[in-house]
Amino acid sequence: MEMLYHQFKRRVFGMAHRIVGPNDAEEVAQEVFVRVFRGLANFRGDSALSTWVYRLTVNCSLSHLAKRGRRQEVGDETLADVPAAPAISRDPGLAARIERALQELPPGYRAILVLHDVEGLSHEECAAILECRVGTCKSQLHKARARMRELLGPIGGTPT
Amino acid sequence: MTCQDVRPHLTAYLDGELADDRGSAVRGHLRGCEACRTAAHHEAALRDGLRALPQLDAPFEMWAGVQRQLAAAEVADAEKPHWRHVVSRFAQAWFSPRFAVASAALAVVVCVWAWRFTHQHPVTVAEAPQVAAAPVRPAPKPAGEAPTAPGPDGDVAAEIASLPKQTSDAYAEATVELVKLAGDARTQWSADRQQQFDAKLGELQHDVTTAREGRLRQKAHRSLIRYLQRVTTRDEVAFADTRGTP
Repeated sequence: MEMLYHQFKRRVFGMAHRIVGPNDAEEVAQEVFVRVFRGLANFRGDSALSTWVYRLTVNCSLSHLAKRGRRQEVGDETLADVPAAPAISRDPGLAARIERALQELPPGYRAILVLHDVEGLSHEECAAILECRVGTCKSQLHKARARMRELLGPIGGTPT
Repeated sequence: MTCQDVRPHLTAYLDGELADDRGSAVRGHLRGCEACRTAAHHEAALRDGLRALPQLDAPFEMWAGVQRQLAAAEVADAEKPHWRHVVSRFAQAWFSPRFAVASAALAVVVCVWAWRFTHQHPVTVAEAPQVAAAPVRPAPKPAGEAPTAPGPDGDVAAEIASLPKQTSDAYAEATVELVKLAGDARTQWSADRQQQFDAKLGELQHDVTTAREGRLRQKAHRSLIRYLQRVTTRDEVAFADTRGTP
């Protein structure tokens, strides 16, 4: 059981952190692991174990957000003094700005961006986790990135 | 290719998911269109930025928290009454895919039976039983015909299919009795009344014979029976009145 925890703890915590925000990430990740361990006996093997664990993570995170019923506020100190968006080629604050913009996205867009772009899962894996078609997954990713670009403004300088 | 054609495919192009010809078309457009090139550049920077986000380490104390919650859940399980375990096991079985498929199949069978029960094939007037005649009994099979031996499922289906017919036959028997009673009373009536009765009876019997087998025929039977009951009862009341009058 502990091996399973150590195998998935980073990704589960990372996903929860980026979907629900830093304040509730640990609580959600704990809930995910409790559900995993208690439901392991009933795991039917219809999908890969990792897909099942990530699906639980996304579902727990989204339902946590729904229960909380408010937009995630970016309140932690590390992001408070993020500079406004200067269009420079090497943006030192880009990571923090991206984290902040992620928290302003609708939860569904946030989930697909975290799964595909941050965690590097394939469209097929994302579709299995989100229980949707691959085409839907791709279109959601496109919309999510477009929304992110609106929130971030120009990034990465100008093309040469 | 216009900008409107290219923009929806930028994400797939940047992720290397477009087929060669389409990728080449997008690349060709980007060479000549600065606006799309800028959009692609920003999206690529965003994608790279997202991929470069640091892996987050789970807090060290999280495992202890998981263990605490698991222990609390186990204690709660132990304190749960036995019937709740049974219910939860049943609920798990209920929501299993196999059980869902079996339930769906059962629902389809029930719907088909219900449909067959309510939508019988129309019976032509010539086939319809005559109300005034003896009740229709199942005709004996010709001697040469081999008896059929339906299985248990066939028996049930045939029984369900024959229910409306049986109800109609029961109504027909009741009608015959009532027509006999009314016929006895009719002899005491005036010619006008007899004529009215005959006309009404003919009309209602016609309704019965022309109605479709099933609910419509049963309704026609009920109208006929109600009429006959009214007629015979009124006659008895009138008879009692005349006897009771000093």
